[in-house]
Amino acid sequence: MNAVYALVGLLAFSAVSAEVCYNEVSMECGQASNSLALPSCNAIYGSFGRQGNVANELQAYANLYLHRSYEYLLSAAYYNNYQTNRDGFHKLFKKLSDESWEKTIDIIKHVTKRGGVMDFSARSTQSTGAKNSTIELQELESLAHALDTQKEIAERAFFIHQEATRNNHKTHDPEIAQYLEEEFIEGQAKTVRDLAGYTADLKQFITANEGKDLSLGLYLFDEYLQKVV
Amino acid sequence: MKTFFPIIVLLAVFSSAFGTQCNVTPVNIPKQWVTMSHGCRSSVRQQIQMEVAASIQYLAMGAFFSRDNVNRPGFAKLFFDASSEERGHALKLIEYLLMRGELTTDVSSLITIRPPERRHWASGVEALEEALKLETEVTKAIKNVIIKCEHDNNSQGHDTNDYHLVDYLTGEFLEEQYKGQRDLAGKASTLKKMMERHSALGEFIFDKKLLGIDI
Repeated sequence: MNAVYALVGLLAFSAVSAEVCYNEVSMECGQASNSLALPSCNAIYGSFGRQGNVANELQAYANLYLHRSYEYLLSAAYYNNYQTNRDGFHKLFKKLSDESWEKTIDIIKHVTKRGGVMDFSARSTQSTGAKNSTIELQELESLAHALDTQKEIAERAFFIHQEATRNNHKTHDPEIAQYLEEEFIEGQAKTVRDLAGYTADLKQFITANEGKDLSLGLYLFDEYLQKVV
Repeated sequence: MKTFFPIIVLLAVFSSAFGTQCNVTPVNIPKQWVTMSHGCRSSVRQQIQMEVAASIQYLAMGAFFSRDNVNRPGFAKLFFDASSEERGHALKLIEYLLMRGELTTDVSSLITIRPPERRHWASGVEALEEALKLETEVTKAIKNVIIKCEHDNNSQGHDTNDYHLVDYLTGEFLEEQYKGQRDLAGKASTLKKMMERHSALGEFIFDKKLLGIDI
């Protein structure tokens, strides 16, 4: 009889969602002791945290947003000094910074929602290493930099999504895939498109009329950004 | 092909130093109105970095109390809010520097992001006491900025007093620091009293109170 129970127990344990938490409760509550460890009574399910890749990538994603948030804040500051004095560019970067800051906190919350522990040193396998970006850029350069960094952020979301949706793979995690789709991917496409559009406009103002429109073009474009951002 | 790349990089480096077809040539306007002294300016810059570091430390506290086996959403909310508040302080100081004609150069080096020093707290009380300690350090640092800006040698070697910044830091920043410290100290006392005999229940109830739920 005991052997049958053991077999049933073994089968249950190997199943996908075994009653591991319940078993620990049954076991530990039956003992005369003052502590309950219950290590399996946690929020981790599916592949999250098992292989570590999606879990680690998500933490690295929060760190990427955190870095970009403060970088955009500095760009916003630079465009608000008395010499650059471009209020529209200031607003553009301030908005990117604020959005990135909100996303940072949101991802950290999501890491813990799935039973993960946030590691502020986590790096992505896709990370190209710490680049010390220069903040003091001219108008078109700064838009180009914003576009590049926003694409990096958007492509990182694709990468994590790919990890989370790869068929027959150990990192399959539909919850993370849907979280990325819902909260990130759509908005990122818009941001990238807006920035690409701004550079296209600015490019024309710069080259048109043998470059004579440059200073007025930049002025008007900044005024325009103040209205639309 | 490989030899071209460094040339392109070199060109890119040089082109930002001069006006190119994409940039308006920089203009010179009088600078006499830019009057912050060197020591005062650099102490404000350090203060900005300190507020940023505090914002990241609070992020770590928010992350810790969000964990499934810690499960204190009220504490997490308190610390995430505190984190955004610290970021806001950094922003206010940056805006002040901009108003005074600063941050035309050396903007990139203003902020460095470092991972938080601490990631684990034994209890809510410990975290509140740590937050109080952190705020006390920030307050002390603000006072040191005030002292520096009240007496600093300007470029001519004269003793200068930056009245307006000193007033701003005293009236706005110190006011907020003292109110914040009082709030944290009050919360820590209430929680500690609740913890004395009913530690598990006390922290649970206090956490829900922080969330705005009455149970």
